[in-house]
Amino acid sequence: MLRAWLYASTLTALLAVLAVFGFLLHASWPLLAEQGVAFVAEPEWFPYEDLFGLLPVLIGSGWVVLLALLIALPCAVAAAVLNAELLPPRMRAGLRFVMALMASVPSVVYGLIGLWLLLPLLESQFDLLTGRSLLAAGGLLALMILPTLMLLSEEAIAKVSAEQRDAALALGFDWTRMLSRVLLPQAWPGIRLALLLSLGRAMGETVAVMLVVGSLDRLPQPLYNLLQPAQTLTSRIGREMAEASLGTVHWAALMSSGLALALAAVLISLLAQRGRAHEI
Amino acid sequence: MKFNGQRDLLTKSLVVLLALPALLLPLACLLYIVWRGLPGLSLDFVFSSGEGAGFGHSSGIVGQLWGSLLLALGACVAALPLALGIAIYERLLASTGQRRVLASVVAMLQGIPPIVFGLFGLVLFVHALDWGVSLVSGALILAIVVLPTLVMTMIAALQRIPIEHTEAARSLGLTEGQLLRRVWLPQAWHGLVTGVLLGMARALSETAPILFTATVFSGVVWPDSIFAPVTTLQTHIFYLAQEGGSEAATQVAWSSAVVLIALVALFALLAHVIQKWRPLHEA
Amino acid sequence: MRGVWFLIGLVWASLGGAQASEQIRVSGSTTVLPIVAEAAKQYRIAHPEVRLTVSGGGSGVGASSVAQGMSEIGMLSRDLTEREKQRLHGKAALLPVARDAVAIAVSKAVYEGGVTQLSLAQIAAIYRGEIKNWRELGGPDARILVIDKEASRGTRHVFAKVVLGSEKARAPGASIITGSNNEEQAAIANSDQAIGMLSTGWLNDQVRALAIGEGSAAVLPTAETIASGAYPISRDLNILVPSDGQPHIDAFVEFLQSDAGRQIVTQVGYLPLEAP
Repeated sequence: MLRAWLYASTLTALLAVLAVFGFLLHASWPLLAEQGVAFVAEPEWFPYEDLFGLLPVLIGSGWVVLLALLIALPCAVAAAVLNAELLPPRMRAGLRFVMALMASVPSVVYGLIGLWLLLPLLESQFDLLTGRSLLAAGGLLALMILPTLMLLSEEAIAKVSAEQRDAALALGFDWTRMLSRVLLPQAWPGIRLALLLSLGRAMGETVAVMLVVGSLDRLPQPLYNLLQPAQTLTSRIGREMAEASLGTVHWAALMSSGLALALAAVLISLLAQRGRAHEI
Repeated sequence: MKFNGQRDLLTKSLVVLLALPALLLPLACLLYIVWRGLPGLSLDFVFSSGEGAGFGHSSGIVGQLWGSLLLALGACVAALPLALGIAIYERLLASTGQRRVLASVVAMLQGIPPIVFGLFGLVLFVHALDWGVSLVSGALILAIVVLPTLVMTMIAALQRIPIEHTEAARSLGLTEGQLLRRVWLPQAWHGLVTGVLLGMARALSETAPILFTATVFSGVVWPDSIFAPVTTLQTHIFYLAQEGGSEAATQVAWSSAVVLIALVALFALLAHVIQKWRPLHEA
Repeated sequence: MRGVWFLIGLVWASLGGAQASEQIRVSGSTTVLPIVAEAAKQYRIAHPEVRLTVSGGGSGVGASSVAQGMSEIGMLSRDLTEREKQRLHGKAALLPVARDAVAIAVSKAVYEGGVTQLSLAQIAAIYRGEIKNWRELGGPDARILVIDKEASRGTRHVFAKVVLGSEKARAPGASIITGSNNEEQAAIANSDQAIGMLSTGWLNDQVRALAIGEGSAAVLPTAETIASGAYPISRDLNILVPSDGQPHIDAFVEFLQSDAGRQIVTQVGYLPLEAP
């Protein structure tokens, strides 16, 4: 009885992962059977003409995630170093607590912030027709992943042993050299893990992105134009899922977008685990 | 040495400068939300039901509050036996290889974006099983979303039980069931509670996966069946943010955001307190 | 452990048992939504036994969710497409409840800057990306924020058919895409250089309708011009009603068509239909 329950629950978890892929693959089949996988690189998405190119959203998602990480990483690591090395221990716990609280703020609330703070700011700063853009989405995501990124990086830095630190200082390293030669390289596996987790989170974030990205199914022109409205994998699913009807190719196309998202997530997860295995 | 001291000062200032936005921006956002939301908050706002005709013409979010809590509670109730089973399996029966596979599966479940589970639930629960857009569909989807949180907290709690206790119990000839009931459960119950509380907080923060599987905009205060749709704070804020143009609607969105954050923070804090309280209790 | 399962089973059974209560789920066009939402609010008071939920999503959602059995009643601000007609054949039929026009709406600053009327050709040029600045139309020197709507939205179907020639035409000049009328209204109101398509029920001081046509022949969307057909972009607002005649659904539909229902139509800013 007891063992049956234990086996059953563990099997369920394994099956859940398989089922997610199985059902998504099955639901995307109408599109895959009709168009193969070439649609992934097509630049046009227009359901009325059965055009389901994923290229614009893949580039949109890519930019948004890259921006978020580029903005968040330096700040988060600096904050982690500050908290772990420079602040008195009593403040450390308090700050960690506030950060943990910030990390639990629901994403939809960040969407409100984006709409009423970030968009007007971008519009006035860059003289834009509309602030809805890749930059807005990337900036908002950076804000969302900051607390987690900082907390995990700080843990990694705090784990670097006091001995190594003292040894470095005894060798006559100044603080700067200690930081760049000992602390950051030693903490890097942990920071890398934090980075990968944040990458996954940013890639899969939906509602906040949906509110600020502009939902324009078009490639940025030129490709590095971050001030243009665009669409991401998740924002497209969020916008169009409710209006596609079951069994149509449109439905299948949205499901295959979800499949692409899931595949990318598993890839990231595997990368993260490889890193973890090396660490041990 | 003097040169080094100057360089250190420069580096440290640079670190502080870079760190400032990371420390201040999130906090500023939180304060801004509270500042925008507070004017619209009142007991009447939280505990009355708006009929929801039009956007923001009527406020009152008790229906949304119930919906959010029911979904989160349903998710945790569904995930709890599973998570407990997995955690105990991992500690009691699994070989090293199995542990590695299990850890990787849990990490995968945690890494897959919630909206993907939303799509999965839309195909399986809403359509294939024909449960429709309903409380039960949403709760089960959220159960998958919170499962990794529960499993990891529980495994961590079980890991903290000193190995001697387990060995002693085994040498006394306790069966697995007795070991669980008499040794593991009394020492790890806090992990169970913490896991569920963290799961509640997580489930309450999710919007995307329930957007098209569990919720409608208006018309529900208390669902009279698990196969009926609900309204939730998360989706309410989302709809109002996306579609509400009027001042009143905006105010309702900010105020609902404050209520939602307070709710999530409450569960997160409780989890924190229980985790902190345990060692004192044992010592 | 067994006790827990028993409890779960008990809760399940008791909750599931209530499913048989009279249920009406309405979803679809956000243009029709205010009528049905207000009607539902009044109807619930007199009929507390009916579970009546209303949600948006757009006309496409209205048709597809009725076809999939996820809603009893759909709301559409356009006609059924051929594909939808095939799917719904014999299952449900369209019933008009009000009349409305799609206004070409601009931000207040544009209107006060001198652009108060446009011809259909000019509007089409804006949406095709050929005209990019309000100056070219006699307005302020400001780029045009062209707001398009999601392709399945009824308002867009009607607009695209009249202005761009086909209900499925693309609009390469579009700057951003919005969904519901609320979202579009908010986007126009928050900008001072925007143009968009909007049901007349959503016009206000920040969001002004343009007269459509050449010179002095331009027509504003008003009750008279919509009713007479002089305003070029008008349509029926419909509900999609199941054909199997369940009494509690028919009763609500009758309420929508009654005098009280027509009063609601006027109250939310549309034109009621003549009494049948």
